[in-house]
Amino acid sequence: MKKLWCSLLISSMCIGLLSGCGKENGETPSGTQEGKAETETTEKSADLSAIYSGELEKDVTIRVLENDTAIAEGYFQEVIDAFNEAYADYGIVAVDANMDQYSNLADDGPYGYGPDVLYQANDVLMKYVEGKHIYPIPAQNLESYDKIPQTAWDAYKTVIDGVTYYMGVPVNVQSSMLYYRKDMLPENWETEWDKNGNKIPDMVENWNDMYRYSQSIVDKGEGKFGYMRSMYDVYFSSGFLFSYGAYVFGDQNTNAEDIGFSAGNAEIGANVLLQQAGLMNEDCIDDSVTVSAYSKLADGTYFATMTTPDVKSLFLKELAMVYENEGMSADEAKAKAEENLVVTDVPRLPASGDLTEENPELIPLKAMGGVNGYAISAYTKAPNACLAFVEFATNYDMIMKRHETLGIVPARSDAAEAAGGISEIMYHNLDEGNIVVMPSIRAVEQIWTPAQTFFQDLAKDAFRTSDKKYGSLEQIKAGLEAVDKQIYDAVHTLATN
Amino acid sequence: MKDGVKKNTSEKWGKNVKLSMCLMGLGQFFYGQIGRGLCYLAILLLAVVYFVYRGFSDLIGLFTLGTKEADTWLGLEGDNSVVMLLMGILSVIALLFFVFCYLSNIKDAYETQKLCERGGHPAKFKEDLKQFLDKKFYKTVLFLPIVGVCVFNILPIIFMILIAFTNYGGNIVPPKLVDWVGIDNFVQIATLSQFAPTFGRILIWNLIWAAVSTAVNYFAGLGLALLLNKECVKGKAFWRAFPMLAYAVPGFITLLGFKFMFSYGGPINQIITDMGYRAVGFLDIDAKWIARGIGFAVNAWISVPSIMLLATGILSNRDASQMESAKIDGANAFQQFRHITLPFVLFSTTPVLISQFIGNFNNFGIFFFLRGGLYIDGYFLASDTDLLINWLYNLSISNNYYNVGATISLVIFMITSFISLLIYTRSSSYREEDTFR
Amino acid sequence: MKSMKTMRVLDTVVTHVILIAVCFIFLFPCLWLILASFSKSGSIYSFEGFFPSAYSLDTFRNLFTDTEMYNYPKWFRNTLFIAVMSCLIGSFLVILTAYTMSRFQFKGRKTIMKTTLVLGMFPSFMGMIAVYIIMTQFGLINKMWGLILIYSANAPMGYLTQKGFFDTIPSSIDEAARIDGATNFQVFLKINLPLSLPIIVYTALTSFTFPWSDFILPKLLLKEKDLYTVAVGLMNLGETEFSRFAAGSVFIAVPIVILYFCLMKFFVNGMTAGAVKG
Repeated sequence: MKKLWCSLLISSMCIGLLSGCGKENGETPSGTQEGKAETETTEKSADLSAIYSGELEKDVTIRVLENDTAIAEGYFQEVIDAFNEAYADYGIVAVDANMDQYSNLADDGPYGYGPDVLYQANDVLMKYVEGKHIYPIPAQNLESYDKIPQTAWDAYKTVIDGVTYYMGVPVNVQSSMLYYRKDMLPENWETEWDKNGNKIPDMVENWNDMYRYSQSIVDKGEGKFGYMRSMYDVYFSSGFLFSYGAYVFGDQNTNAEDIGFSAGNAEIGANVLLQQAGLMNEDCIDDSVTVSAYSKLADGTYFATMTTPDVKSLFLKELAMVYENEGMSADEAKAKAEENLVVTDVPRLPASGDLTEENPELIPLKAMGGVNGYAISAYTKAPNACLAFVEFATNYDMIMKRHETLGIVPARSDAAEAAGGISEIMYHNLDEGNIVVMPSIRAVEQIWTPAQTFFQDLAKDAFRTSDKKYGSLEQIKAGLEAVDKQIYDAVHTLATN
Repeated sequence: MKDGVKKNTSEKWGKNVKLSMCLMGLGQFFYGQIGRGLCYLAILLLAVVYFVYRGFSDLIGLFTLGTKEADTWLGLEGDNSVVMLLMGILSVIALLFFVFCYLSNIKDAYETQKLCERGGHPAKFKEDLKQFLDKKFYKTVLFLPIVGVCVFNILPIIFMILIAFTNYGGNIVPPKLVDWVGIDNFVQIATLSQFAPTFGRILIWNLIWAAVSTAVNYFAGLGLALLLNKECVKGKAFWRAFPMLAYAVPGFITLLGFKFMFSYGGPINQIITDMGYRAVGFLDIDAKWIARGIGFAVNAWISVPSIMLLATGILSNRDASQMESAKIDGANAFQQFRHITLPFVLFSTTPVLISQFIGNFNNFGIFFFLRGGLYIDGYFLASDTDLLINWLYNLSISNNYYNVGATISLVIFMITSFISLLIYTRSSSYREEDTFR
Repeated sequence: MKSMKTMRVLDTVVTHVILIAVCFIFLFPCLWLILASFSKSGSIYSFEGFFPSAYSLDTFRNLFTDTEMYNYPKWFRNTLFIAVMSCLIGSFLVILTAYTMSRFQFKGRKTIMKTTLVLGMFPSFMGMIAVYIIMTQFGLINKMWGLILIYSANAPMGYLTQKGFFDTIPSSIDEAARIDGATNFQVFLKINLPLSLPIIVYTALTSFTFPWSDFILPKLLLKEKDLYTVAVGLMNLGETEFSRFAAGSVFIAVPIVILYFCLMKFFVNGMTAGAVKG
């Protein structure tokens, strides 16, 4: 069976090479489409012509699965309206798939209930590759190909029988950001807390000063805290391990045999977390901080927290409400909230892992992140129309609009530059490799519970009065090794095949 | 072959019986039972149509589980092994049903023949129908439920049992083709060294959980019903409304609410810290017995109202004269309860007790919502509050190893069903159904 | 005589103290949920101890007017339809099954009883895969009737409780009626049914509340957002929609409370009014 399949692939590739044409980009949507179809054949993923004939299907409806925020904020309606207008001549209509944003194509698609185009995270989309539930994308032919960094494309890369395929088009980057209250900085920060004189407070630049500042807040004994974060959350806590040499899976997150939460000097990173937990209260052990951060940052109980950029509007809403209760008008409150809530890059870590060290050598924090993007269902009746939609929705204008309405960080370099601010920082981080993109293999599902248990245990240890479990680096290392073993067990013990 | 059968029984079987053997309903026609004959004929026709259209290929599919793998990229439509397995089981059920109808058709003709020999006359169709409201009332009534239970309950269970003998799961999910592997899965589980200690620990906890929580819920519910039944309690509907409030809130909302209430930032810890004590980790990683205790309490909060309701209904059916005479005889309240009320309630609620026990044994939601996402040392991919069903979930569904999951559930299923059958068949409500009639 | 009286007073006092304690235990979490639904902030943490820091009716207003993303009224209608239909069909089937199993002696009866008991023990989520595939084959995905079909078809599995009740109704009346020439169907309809009001009410309540609050099956079988039930919809809410979640949860409890007050009368008095035993 496999052999037959290979030979089919090879022959189709040969045909593709023989019938190749030059690159040609038309101006009209249809022209672009035809141009694409022709150029496909010159690239190495020639066999895709079996999927994309290049001829747009007429009078078809394509169902698009978008994420809830995009629908709620009205962005999605704008995209489909614009798309439907541009493709009105072909009778192609894009509609909301009207399904759960996390719905599983592998369950729905084969029976004909899935969407045609999906917008999901890379680790979710890549799960569909094994059963070939999604079509590969002729990435090299897309206008956005050169604009999106290779690290983002890599999140969608898969190699089947020696041929490289890209399974989705990256749209936005998701990773950790530091949120803090500008008005809660000490009044003399410009003289006392800005050693390098770059007009950025030191405590949001490196974790050592954040630790010192948190300590000073806690010492006041007003029941307030500096930096707070639910420790159990793997998405945010694992970054501290990665910064000191840990990784999820070996061979660039592709080899599920090699699990590396304890690799390198990961225990030093875990010890940083342990020190931080010492300046928090018990809320950091379970998910209390995650849920409460919105209102506790607003009422001034917390100075800073770390979370993803897409929830900024929720923080603003809560902060504005506090100001409104203090007697401000709605507009004033909103303006003041936007001024006082700052979202910035995550602070840098001390290379030694000692948060009390003065003038430490600093290294960047490698946070875990993800790349969300579009993919095309393999059960669609109109692959060419779907491709046209994906291309339309990932062009510069649409990505910029998406950024403006949703505050997302674009994966396109031109859009990220134009957007500036957080987007530029994060794009930069991605480009530099400081964002560890979530693995795109199925085994990733098994990392959460073991790692989450460990982080919870670690946070709890800061509050244990007797028999501490993680008193030394060796004990922490052993704990991390146990995590690796559990993940290995979860992935492999039951695999019969 | 067929002739041989005929010869041996020709004295016994009349012409019409043989006709019925050849064609369902034909014998009945010759007895003048047109309606009955038509019914049998219709069944035959339905069966033929079904088997020609898909039943036969489904039956073959059950053995092959698909031969052609799908490939969407090449536009190849293939076989979906899982669907084939399921439809195959369905076709077997259909076949059995058809054979049953065929045999009943022969039996029916034979009985009519005997009836005629004795000088009776074959029943008219109208009389047949009447029978279904009287003597055969149970058949009429049970037909729909049995069909429903077969399709939506037995079929899935057979399906899962058969899955335990395939390699379905992991990488082998449709469009990949699934295959039969015999008892490989059982061998694998038996030889897995990490498996036995965890299984033992969880099984013991699971049994304690099921027994204690059933007892707590049952007696609390019954006690509440008795309390509310007292003469001195005025405004019973008002008092009963409070437990009903708990009953009215859907279970998963209750569980999420309780999880929050017992979390570090929740209202209970807030009260504790406001009083100057340190926050208590009710459900965190070290909270083995506290978390278990909360499990019991929350489960009682959810289940007691419905048991109270049931007990109230059953108590209202109690023989009042018996209570009166007991009172006159000078029995005190406890004696009345012990000797009259309890046996009565226990008798009619033994099935409830058993189904409560089963429900609690397989109570997936409670610890999944309250304390999910933990793997504790000394347990193989489980936590110390996890029940077998939670563990099963960790191993199979979240891991995708359906075959292993099915194998373990089969093992658990055999243990639990053995225990409960033993209890049930010894209970008075099973053996002496007429006690209170 | 005097001590009898003090005993009675003491008994009454103790009874009421226990009752108040019980009511408090059941009320406390519900009260918290109700208060949360009136909270002005969407966040679960805008609380001062037990009470929200600010109150408003906005959440309830939003629940019914802001239907762009979360169409609560629609979810509510869907849930009501599914629950009412499943309740009617399901209770009918359960009562009949239980009655038959209690009153008729036939071949295979004990086998059926044992089988149903054992079947209930199979971990149900393992069979979900099969149920899903059956429904895809019958084309019943995204159909509310598909859900009703499953709920009703599974209802008879829980007949044991009802059978236990029928076992306590004396069969002497049945026999008297049969001598008068009534068919089994008539005996059931005219004699046993009126006597079993409490259990019918109990059955109706339970078979209403199960689909009413279930979220696994609707999540599995209803893919379109327009078809969501309240349970699925609530689970889908965003993380800062807590007060909406609370309001939605409070409102979902209302029909059951109403149902309870309507049915309670029949429920408690059903048997004593029957005047069979007293």
